Amino acid sequence: MRLAFYALTSCEGCLTTLITNLGPNVEVLWKMFDIDYFKLVREPVGGTRIPKADIAFVEGAVVTDRDRRTLTEIRKNSSFVVALGTCASSGNIAYAASRDVDFEAKHLRDLEISPAEPLSSLVAVDFELSGCPVSAEEFTEALLRLINSIEPIQPDFSVCYECKSKGNPCLLDAKKVCLGPLAMGGCGAACPTVGSACYSCRGPAMEADLKAYLLTLEKKGIGKEKALMMLRMFTGKKAKELLKDGR
Amino acid sequence: MGGSSKGDVIVDTNELRFIEGHARLQVRMAGGDTVAEFQNLEGPRFLTKYLVGKPIEMAPMVASRICGLCYTAHSINAAEAIERALGIKVSKEVRELRNVLYLANNLRSHVMHLLYLTLPSIKGVISVLRLRDKDLYEAGTRLLTKSTELIEVWGGRSVHVPNVVVGGFGAVMNGRQLVSSVHELEGLMNDARKFADYAIELDLPELERYRPLGSLRNPGHYPTYAEDASMVLNDGSLLTSDEYYDSITEVTKYYSTSKHAYFRNSELTVGALSRVILNRRHLKPEAKAFAERVEWRMNPFLIIKAQAVEVVHYMEELIAAGQRLGDIMVEPSKEGAASGVNCSATQGEIPDCQGTGRGFFVAEAPRGALCHACEVENGKIKSYKVYTPTAVNSKSIELDAAEFVKKFRPLGVEKMRYILEDMTRAYDPCLSCAVSLDIY
Repeated sequence: MRLAFYALTSCEGCLTTLITNLGPNVEVLWKMFDIDYFKLVREPVGGTRIPKADIAFVEGAVVTDRDRRTLTEIRKNSSFVVALGTCASSGNIAYAASRDVDFEAKHLRDLEISPAEPLSSLVAVDFELSGCPVSAEEFTEALLRLINSIEPIQPDFSVCYECKSKGNPCLLDAKKVCLGPLAMGGCGAACPTVGSACYSCRGPAMEADLKAYLLTLEKKGIGKEKALMMLRMFTGKKAKELLKDGR
Repeated sequence: MGGSSKGDVIVDTNELRFIEGHARLQVRMAGGDTVAEFQNLEGPRFLTKYLVGKPIEMAPMVASRICGLCYTAHSINAAEAIERALGIKVSKEVRELRNVLYLANNLRSHVMHLLYLTLPSIKGVISVLRLRDKDLYEAGTRLLTKSTELIEVWGGRSVHVPNVVVGGFGAVMNGRQLVSSVHELEGLMNDARKFADYAIELDLPELERYRPLGSLRNPGHYPTYAEDASMVLNDGSLLTSDEYYDSITEVTKYYSTSKHAYFRNSELTVGALSRVILNRRHLKPEAKAFAERVEWRMNPFLIIKAQAVEVVHYMEELIAAGQRLGDIMVEPSKEGAASGVNCSATQGEIPDCQGTGRGFFVAEAPRGALCHACEVENGKIKSYKVYTPTAVNSKSIELDAAEFVKKFRPLGVEKMRYILEDMTRAYDPCLSCAVSLDIY
């Protein structure tokens, strides 16, 4: 089976997470599969051309024309496309940050740069592994399912679920904005566990109920402006959809 | 890509393989002269622009996303820049723990760069997994896994650490919990030695060119993260960190998505080689012994050996720090409530902060001196600027490439292309970082 790993516009933190967190298992992957493209791990098969692959993992948002061309080729040559990480699945911070940039400015036009978009704005995406960065365990689980022809799954619980099971004190109770109730879990509540608010870096949970969340904030006497700003940060294009539904 | 490139192309690397981000190097004849263009092809993510108008506590988290390899350096520098803008003083213990996190991140980044990106091409194999020396791959993987684990224990996650916050740390940090993980490092010293030995024995191309080198100086210590460091140059002059910051100008290039950062309107080489050349007397004993085996010259290929020496040094530093950690206990950041500043930092959040000021911070990230600068107005970020080492080194990469092609043109295009690619890679450029000095 052929695998390929690509990075569009991103910090390449998802691909490096796979390398460092899989540790010695990178070699297991290497032996089990034909990895034809993974710029950080091997010289690509076929040079600059995008090879045929059974599963393509794509990190990054679509920002440059080069990203656009590469992604179109990837889609053409891959049977199954997985968006790897939040940049690929929602556009990440770049989505919100690039909405009010003047892309008609000459140098941006010359360099063929446009507002950041998730992969799904351009091509059909078969599965999304969210997270900033992505979790190596979730990657492994999804891969194991895929090679056994089982549909991969996303966590169906919110960050609150994992946070509570760790016994962390609730940040909302301390009158701090935290997006835990809206956010998709699977990260082990990494941020609230060290006392930092959840910014919903994995996008909205399946059970995300914006109306109920805003009501909770109101009851607790927390202003909603900051929460909405935080929601637009990582959740990118998905925040737009959530906000539209929630109103 | 658009732009009005002029002149005949002599060598074109196409997209560089085995580097962080996307870039290309072209050398061409223009007006009778050989000139090189180091083209960043990475798209901008507008992260520093995003920070404008946002509450200060978001700076470390957003800055972290600049890079997937040196994220800890970015988030610590961001926290420091904000703290300086607001006059927040952090405790000695917070500094000690930040230092340890910095060291672990530099170690991880170096091992990743040497093992995965540099060695395969120099050894003529298609991947690190095809290296003949299996032990080396295994030693490197152990170092990589361990340094990642250290970051996870202290940072709260292996990549994009949430525990680094303005004012200190988000969670209670008990030094005792960290001691055991540092203790295990001693068992990995042999791996680090093996790694350094291998790199130091490499046969590398000669490409010496005189140029200004810059490294921070931390009196009595090898520079990494320090409260107040100055910048030393190879002509012996010493600049305060403010003077260094003021000497940088941003230059827009029509062929690149990121600006270059010029030092005194020209080049400056920062990074592992500059650090070793200018500060090697402060290396820890074993690292120093490794360093003495190399004849240090201004050849960019020697950056590879300098990084290998530093791998041993960072290990020794971490082990030494481990002996001090047992006594450290840091409460979630409250000490940010500095006198005269209208902010109270609790659990890493600084709500209702009305502080105003300018701050900046520079430290030695894996690839060289990394500068974060910000202006804060009424608790909101008014401006944010990042000068990354890759933006500074870009000019040196271009000058080296042009020099190389002038000298070695008889080698033929194909050979030159490979050597140029290896040379650029030796600088350990990070294009995702560089693009934060963006051009919009």
